[in-house]
Amino acid sequence: MDPVLQEIYKTVFSGAPYVLAAYIAILVGLFAYVTFMLLRVTKLEKQVDLLQSTIERRSAKS
Amino acid sequence: MTDKQSMRVSPNWLVFSLLGASAVLLLVDFVLAFFVAPLQPGAQVYMNGQPVSALINGVAISNQLLFSQKIFYFHVPIAIGSFLIFTFAMVYSVLFLLRRDKVYDTRARIGMEVTLVLVLLTLITGDLWTRHDWGAWWVWEPRLTTYFILFLLVVSYFVLRGAVEDEERKATYAAVFGIVAWVDVPISFVITRLVPSGVHPVVLRSGGIEFIQLLPFLLGLVGMVCFSWVLYQLRLREEFARERVEVLKTELEG
Repeated sequence: MDPVLQEIYKTVFSGAPYVLAAYIAILVGLFAYVTFMLLRVTKLEKQVDLLQSTIERRSAKS
Repeated sequence: MTDKQSMRVSPNWLVFSLLGASAVLLLVDFVLAFFVAPLQPGAQVYMNGQPVSALINGVAISNQLLFSQKIFYFHVPIAIGSFLIFTFAMVYSVLFLLRRDKVYDTRARIGMEVTLVLVLLTLITGDLWTRHDWGAWWVWEPRLTTYFILFLLVVSYFVLRGAVEDEERKATYAAVFGIVAWVDVPISFVITRLVPSGVHPVVLRSGGIEFIQLLPFLLGLVGMVCFSWVLYQLRLREEFARERVEVLKTELEG
C-alpha cells in the first residue's frame, strides 16, 4: 500500500473504512443482482426445455 | 417477422467468462484505486496568506488531497458504459426500422433498460462527488445538464412505450424516439470540451493523469463495459425465454 495513503487513512481520514465498505457493498450488490438474474434465466430456460419435451412427447403419442 | 439470427444470444461460456473478467477487473480497480493510486492534489493550502506544507510520511505535501476523486475510477467507467449500451440500443432501433423484426425491438428495449440502470448509477455517484467537491447537490453546468436530459429521454422512452397500445406502432415510435434521443449521447460526451464550464474536469485536457491513476481507470472501464454487456445479455435471455414459455404454453393448451 502507498505509505502516504496509509498515513492519511490512519491520521487524517478516519472515515475511510466506511467509504471503502460502502464501495464494496455497492459492488457486491451489483454482482448479487446479476447472480439473481442468472438463476432466474436458468429457471426459465429449464421451463422452456420441459415444455418443449412435453409437446414433443404429446405429438409422438398422437 | 423474426429470423433465427436476430434471436441469437451469446453462448454461456462467453457470458460467464465476461462476468468473471468484470469481477476480477473491478476488484483490481478497487484495490489499485484505494490502496495504490495517490490522492489527487487539489488547491494549494494557505495559512495567513502564506503557502504551507506538511510532512506526511517523509513527503512534503502543500496541496489539498482530494479523497473524493477516488469516485472517478467508478463514476466515469459507469457513464461510458451507459453511452455504449445506449449506442447498441440505437443501432437495434435502426435495424428494427429497416427489417421490421420484433426481436430488434426487444433488443433495443433491453438495451434502454440497462442504459437506465447505468444512467441512475452515474447520477448517484456523480452527485456524491458534486456534493463533496463543489458543495452543492446539483449544479446546472453543461455536462450535468446534458446528462440529466439523457436521463429524462431514457425515462420518456419507457413512458412512450407504456402509452401506446398497438405493438407494431409502439415498437416503431420507440425506435424513432430511441434514435432521436441518442443524439444527446455525443453531445453529453463532448460538451465539456466544447463549452468549458470550469467546474467539470476534463482529465486529458488538463494535463492528464499519472500511469498509476490511469491503470485502475482503464481496468475499471473494461470491467464495467464487460459487466454492462453481461447485464444486457442476461436480460435478453430472460426476455427470450419468457416469450418462448408463453408460446409453448399456448401451443400446449391449443
